[in-house]
Parts: sequence; structure tokens; C-alpha cells
Amino acid sequence: MNNKIKIVSIAIFSLFFAKIASAEVAPGFNTWDDVKAAADGGEVNVYMWGGSDAINGFVDDFYGAPLKSDYNITLNRVGVAGTVDVVNQVLSEKEAGITGDNGNVDLIWINGENFWTLKQADLLYGPFAAGLPNSQFVAWDNPAVSLDFGRPVDGMESPWSSAQFHFMYDSARNDYEDMPRNYGFLTKWISDNPGRFTYIRPGKGGFVGTRFVKQIFFELSGGHAQWVGPYNEELYNKWAPKVWALLNSWEADLHRGGETYPTNNAELHALFANGEVDMSFTQSPRGAGPTNSSGTTPPTSRAFAFYNNMIGDFNYWAIPYNAPNKAAALVYANLVLEPTLQAAQVQPANGFCCGWGISTAKVTDSKGVAAIQDAQNNLGDAAEDQLILANALVADIAAEYQDKIEADWQANVLLK
Amino acid sequence: MGGDKLKIVLSLTPPLLIIGTLFFGGILYGFLQSLGYQPSIGKYDINFDAYYNVMFSERYAKLFWSGLALNLWVSFVSTFLAAVLALWGALSIRKTFFAKKICNFIFSLNLPMPHLVVAVGMIFVFSQSGLLARFFTQIGFIASPSEFPILVKDKYGFGIILAYVWKEAAFFFIILMSVLQSLGENFEELAQSLGANKWQRFRYVILPLVMPNLFSASIIVFAFSFGAYEVPAILGVNYPQMLPVMALDFFLNPDLNARSEGMALSMIIAMIVMILVVIYFWLTQSKIRKD
Repeated sequence: MNNKIKIVSIAIFSLFFAKIASAEVAPGFNTWDDVKAAADGGEVNVYMWGGSDAINGFVDDFYGAPLKSDYNITLNRVGVAGTVDVVNQVLSEKEAGITGDNGNVDLIWINGENFWTLKQADLLYGPFAAGLPNSQFVAWDNPAVSLDFGRPVDGMESPWSSAQFHFMYDSARNDYEDMPRNYGFLTKWISDNPGRFTYIRPGKGGFVGTRFVKQIFFELSGGHAQWVGPYNEELYNKWAPKVWALLNSWEADLHRGGETYPTNNAELHALFANGEVDMSFTQSPRGAGPTNSSGTTPPTSRAFAFYNNMIGDFNYWAIPYNAPNKAAALVYANLVLEPTLQAAQVQPANGFCCGWGISTAKVTDSKGVAAIQDAQNNLGDAAEDQLILANALVADIAAEYQDKIEADWQANVLLK
Repeated sequence: MGGDKLKIVLSLTPPLLIIGTLFFGGILYGFLQSLGYQPSIGKYDINFDAYYNVMFSERYAKLFWSGLALNLWVSFVSTFLAAVLALWGALSIRKTFFAKKICNFIFSLNLPMPHLVVAVGMIFVFSQSGLLARFFTQIGFIASPSEFPILVKDKYGFGIILAYVWKEAAFFFIILMSVLQSLGENFEELAQSLGANKWQRFRYVILPLVMPNLFSASIIVFAFSFGAYEVPAILGVNYPQMLPVMALDFFLNPDLNARSEGMALSMIIAMIVMILVVIYFWLTQSKIRKD
């Protein structure tokens, strides 16, 4: 009897270890060498928002060259007007029955609602993120990484960079010390400066505006912690009326009397640059740096953040279910997490927009550490103090709040 | 005889095929989606929920009806004003004078300009931080650019109407010029010899003669301005929002279930234009029969 139990348990154990030993790097690939071999000599089609020459140039230079020289993969970057366009393309390919390796898109720069659309409709390849060698540098235990707009990532996308909401002002018109540091002081600033402030309306294409409003929920309710976790209807209904009351109280003193609001970043930046309003929003760790370099905002623009409740999140790369070059896509997703390349993306001189995708604390080799230090020291004076930003960082909340806030803002503030 | 019929069928097949598959196929596909049929995400039900949601649900009703009102207002006014402007221009420069060719050219200059460019141009010139606002501040007419009246991005659609009138007047102008050219001077001279004055000649001779062409051109312009996206997207406000802007918003919603609403709204827009076109035809037919 004892022997039988021993044999059975040994059999179970070995099966267990056998499973681990043959655990795949990603569906269809047993080891990372298999991935590299399959990708060799091919190309990779990378679909990403193409509205920034700086970001496009960064991808072409910093990823295109190593892909070719180290992995013999040709980078084919495809710019799109909006991520939702690629989402629609993959959806259409599914409707047309294009499966296997016959699609067109290998990688999509994606997060949030767009990611959820694809994941919900089973249009993604994976799970692959944990199998990448460089995923050791990603802080998967941090809910800000493992939850995308409150929904679990489940390894179906791999991080690239991060962004944190804060503000811009023009140092030629205002002083850093005069800028408000919470919504209470912002309310006073608005009534002292009528017609000089507006915000992006919460809605499609304006998730930055939704963030702006979410942060009001955090401040009025006394803290962000109670909002983490699954959607809490009671909590929302308790504070929503107060938020709408506050926003409605601003209306008379807003730009255009609250009759119309900018619908996206570009429109708000235009109002800010034209001198119609005195504040704009930014999500880059370099504050106003990227938009100053590209000429979208005046060169005297600088950044400032509230001392609390500044939402930050990550953006990722996902692979569609019918990607033609899945191995090359895995190589690319791994490459962007390379510590030296992550440091390069934060360096202002390289023109990239956004922040770290990895956790810099996890990097231990000297070359990586040195590159990271250098980047941190070079962020430029159009950036807000990184310590202030880090102290104010809070994660985004459950996705149900997004739609609720957008719908209720429209009903309670826009339509009055 | 058989050969002729075959020839006709053969020559009609290519355009009919294109219209049939691309146009009607697209409409059918959109119609099915508006009824909730989206097999790619596993929705197979057929119902009119999307239509009800768009028109009567608490969330969208106010937006829809105010948008519809704005749409009708903008389309009617811009079509009418463009027609009037073009008619006046065409009648004024009908007779040969020394600068006729130049005026002709200037009047139809904006025809090849895309609506998008016109809309952006309006923002540059007429917005509160635009060329005119800064110019008037510079010469001291107003104290600061923000005092410039709101002509674009306003809730009555004046900026949108301005853009459409500017563009469509050229379109009407071309049509009217060719019509007046083919009419010649005979009818008017006859009326003048019978003692009709300028206004009577216009009211009883010219107007009835150009009316059929004016009407058909109006239908085209109305249908276009009713369903076009780019001008209201750039020059409009969030509320009231013209229907095509609202429809695209639905379509771009990451929640795929909102597709049905987007398609439903598009179907509604198409149906309204169809109804108005039918009314126009009915009116013109009765007018022709009266005369």
C-alpha cells in the first residue's frame, strides 16, 4: 500500500515537473531560442499611433537598428490616426474569417478600453508577457501594471511605458508658486481668473478628461484607497452629486462659460498655445518637454502637479490572434523592455513622450543602472519635480467608473 | 433586337454591380448591425433596441433631438443662403463687362477647396484667438481678443453655416451660370418689351426658368450638408451636436455593443434625407404641373 502511494505520488510529481519543464514561452513556442530562430530573417509589422514624429523616429532608430543587427528582423512601423482604427481592422479581419498567420498586424500600441475590446472578443494572441526574458524587470505584482483600466491583463499585453496625469502652465504668463495644488485651490483660481480655464470633456477620445474628473472624486471623498478594487456603486452614488455640483459651480467662470469643452488633448493644447486658457494637461514625465520640442506649446511652458491624486498608468504592446509574425512580435516586445533602451526612452534628447515601463529598482547590472541614473538626472526643466509626481501617484480605478462618469458628466454637467 | 437588349444589359451590369455590392451591400450590412446582429462578437438577436436607445433613452434623447433640430436648421439655412447668394452673383455678372472673366474665376475659386480646409481656415480667421480677433485688438477696436464675438464653435451653428454657404455658393453659381447662359436673353427681352420691370422680369420669367435646376442642386447640397462630418466636427460644440458627429462617436466607442447605436443613427440620418428628398420631388412636380 505504502509503495503504491509512493509510486503514484512520484508519478504525479514528475508529471508536475514535466509540465513546468515543458511550459511554453508563449503559445506555439517552447523556448526563447525557438522564438529567435522563427523570427530570424523575417519582418515585424508594428501598428502604433503615428501623430508624433518624435515617437516615430524613436521607434525607427532605437528599435529598428538592434532588431536588424541582433535578430535579423526588419521593422515595419505603421502609423495610425488612432488605436481604435487598428482595433477596427483586427475586428474586420475576424469578421472576414482571416485566421492563423494571415492577418496584417503583428503588434499594437494599446491600453485601456481598446485593449479590453480586443481581449473581450478573443482577438489577442497569448498569454505571452510572462514568457519574455525581460519580463523579470516588470513589476507584475503592482496593480498599476497587472490591471489595465481596472481590468486584469492576464499576460495578453506587455508593458512599454507609463504616463502620469498632471498640468502645464506658461511661465511667461504665470508663476509656478501661483498655480493651484489641489481642486480646492483650483476652484479659487478659476473664480479669480474667469474664462482662463477649461478641461477636456470626459468622453470618447478624451479619457484624459475622465481622469481629471476621477481625481475630483478622490479628493472630495477624502482619499483614493477606498476606490481601489471592484466597482462600488454605493460609493460612486455617494460622491457623484457633489462632483457634479462642483463642476457646475465652475461653469460660469470657465472658458466660453462652459458652453463647449475641448474634446481631446490637441484641442486643449491649441487653446493653451493661443493664449485663450492658462493651463493644459500632460501625461509625460518630462512635463511640457515633448510638446515644447514639437512646437505644440510655447517654449516657456512648464509642468506642475497637484500634491495628491495624480492618476498614472501603463501602456502596452499586444499581439492580435492572427498576427503573421508572432515570433518577431515576441522579440520586439522583449526588446522594448531592455533596461538600456528603457533608459533611452526616458532621456529627453531622444524625444520620446512617456515614462518607464519597467521597474527601475529591479535592474541590477551596472550598464543598466548607469543608463537609468543618467536618464533620471536629465529630465529637463519643463518637467515637474519627479518626487512630487511620485508622491501624488495613484492608480486608475475599475473600468466601470469610466463609462459611468462619462455618461453622468454629459447628463449632469453638459446638458445641465 | 435581342442583340440590343443584350448590349443594354451588358453595359448596365458593371455600374449596377458596383452600386449593388458596395453601396446597397454596405447599407444592408449597416442595417443588420443596427438591428443588433453582430456575429463577430456573438450577437445574433434582431430587435429595434438600438433605435429606441438613440431616440428615446434618458442618456441620448436630449442629445439626439437637439442634434436633429440643429442639423435641420443648419442644412436648410445654408442651402437657402448659398442659393440666394449664388443667384444674386450669377444675375449680377451675367452681362458682359470688362472684369467678367475675373469675377467668374473668383466666384468659383473655392469649388475645389476641401471642406476640411475651409473649416480649419474659419478657425484661423474667425475664432477668438484668430486673425480677425487679433487684428481688431491691435487697432484698438476691442480691448482683448476674447471680446471678439463668438462666430465659430457656437451653439447655433453659425460657423458651420458660414463654411457651408461659402463653399456651396460656388457650386450653385456654376450651375446657375450655365443655366442662364443656355436661357439666353430672349425671354427677358420679350417681357421687357411687354412692359415688365426688373423685379417682374425676375419674379415671373427668370425664377421659374431656373427653379428646376435650383431645386435639384438644393437637394444635393442639403443631403450633403445634412450628413457631412468634418465641418461640424471642427466648427461645432459638444451640445447641441450634429448627428453625423454623434454617430461617429458611437462607432468609435471601444464597447462594441455601441456599434448598433452608431449604425441605427446612421440609418436614421439616411432615412431623414430620403424623406426630405421625396418631399422636394413632390413639391417640384406639383410646381411644374401648376406652371
